[in-house]
Amino acid sequence: MLSASHLTRQFDDRVAVQDVSFDLAPGEIFALLGPNGAGKTTTLRMLAGLIEPTSGRVDVHGEPMSRRNASRLRGRIGFLTEAPGLWDRLTVRQNLVTYARLHGLPSPASAVDTALELFDIRDRARDQAAQLSKGLKQRVALARTLLHRPEVVLLDEPTSGLDPESARDVRELVLRLRDERRAVLLSTHNLDEVERVANRVAVLRTRLIAVDTPAALRARLFGARLQIALVPPAEPFAALLRRSGHGDVRAEDGMLSIAVDDAAASAPAIVRRLVEAGAQIRAVVPEEPPLEEVYLRLLQEEQPA
Amino acid sequence: MTRIRALLAKEIADLRKNPALLAPAVLTGFISILLPFFVAIVVPYVAGERLSDSSDFKIALEMYKDQPSMRTLDPEGAIQAWIFQQYLIMLVLTPVAGSMSLAAYSVIGEKQARTLEPLLATPITTFELLAGKVAGSLLPALVLTAVCFGTYLLAVALIARAGVYTVLFTPRSLAVVFVLGPLAALAALQLAVCVSSRVNDARSAQQIGALIILPITGLLIAQLTGYVLLTVPVILFIGLALAGLNIGLMLIGIALFDRESILTRWK
Repeated sequence: MLSASHLTRQFDDRVAVQDVSFDLAPGEIFALLGPNGAGKTTTLRMLAGLIEPTSGRVDVHGEPMSRRNASRLRGRIGFLTEAPGLWDRLTVRQNLVTYARLHGLPSPASAVDTALELFDIRDRARDQAAQLSKGLKQRVALARTLLHRPEVVLLDEPTSGLDPESARDVRELVLRLRDERRAVLLSTHNLDEVERVANRVAVLRTRLIAVDTPAALRARLFGARLQIALVPPAEPFAALLRRSGHGDVRAEDGMLSIAVDDAAASAPAIVRRLVEAGAQIRAVVPEEPPLEEVYLRLLQEEQPA
Repeated sequence: MTRIRALLAKEIADLRKNPALLAPAVLTGFISILLPFFVAIVVPYVAGERLSDSSDFKIALEMYKDQPSMRTLDPEGAIQAWIFQQYLIMLVLTPVAGSMSLAAYSVIGEKQARTLEPLLATPITTFELLAGKVAGSLLPALVLTAVCFGTYLLAVALIARAGVYTVLFTPRSLAVVFVLGPLAALAALQLAVCVSSRVNDARSAQQIGALIILPITGLLIAQLTGYVLLTVPVILFIGLALAGLNIGLMLIGIALFDRESILTRWK
């Protein structure tokens, strides 16, 4: 649906983005992570047709974006910018109606009514944008982004500065977009949010460091592990597993952590052996290091020596 | 056209929420209306002299004695008519001054309010954006000019000698207000919008856009001193030149508008 091929963007001597390639499929939430100044916003602007890449290209539905067709293709993309960017003196409705008209919607008023309903802001339609809280402004900005029902949605820090309730609403909306088979690209620093919603993750620091599913990145960096909670002590059972061929077994309090090839496939045999040896098992779960650890490890590995 | 209309509607709605933005225009209009009355009515009244007794206005009587519309007026009325006609060109400045601050703030204002990026992310083209911005400044200015002209006529009809107001209904007068005025305003506003999209300070745009006032003031002085007589052909010639200038300014504006630079370099 949206494809970035070898995107590079240079500002004078500074390379902001280098050789970035990825595809975004319908019904996918693709998270773009990276430290400040990594080139996330520049990448989003290139994908949204706001700035041109120095080299490389963006395709929307297989059509290469160019200066000639950028205006038309922008109509198929919804871009939520980092700041809500509402006209403060206008009401919520006036803001949305203007954008509905700019997108050439056949019935701007009814499109706005639908959006107001969908985002639960009908009762604030007559309020000036300046009077809204940050969370409400972000909700209006999201409504504006989705007014024309774009197939590709680019979200730059959509939950930045929002209270937990508003952030949850935004996350639910993002999941709803996925269910509607839209392609969503989410640029964020909020790793917890990514953990909850993203199908794939890309880590960017000028160039792409990694692109994969969160599970695959974990497995690649940390390997698969099984975590078993026992009634302490755990050390004798760790020794038993080491003797039976499990090379990497850690024991701490009542917890065993065992390196395996495949957590789901290995679990039954390991549990059977422990139970036969008299272990009292409380819980068995695949061990998943938080995405934050994955992200930091990736950045660390990329750090020049 | 739909997107230009959408942007124009937004600009007008924005202005209605903050009418104080038009204060400089209203003030300029007020002064433009007041000044000729001061010269033609107040000063002679205070001095206790008639205009027709002064040799300074012989030129006015000379120039107007051939005009059919002046024949019904007495010498005092003819001089008043001349003054009111000459100062009509001041009304041309009203829309320029009025909307200069709006135009100067148009692009830089959107950038400073962080509303420009979402706007540029829509299918709007550079031409549509600039046209919408210029129209958003020009339309209120034209309405203001019409109101000022109406007020001017009414005041002349009520205060000046009987019949003086009829000379303001000549094709020449109407062409000055409704052809030269809007075209000069359009040129000034386009210049201001062009500059507004190149500088990152609204004040710079306002200063440069205001340069259009200089040739208009020059025209006023040339007319008062008798160097130039704004006949209908002269007005049409200036109008054509301004129309050409406006087309050129629109093309230059589109060429100069650099989305990338505005988004990535302006802070």
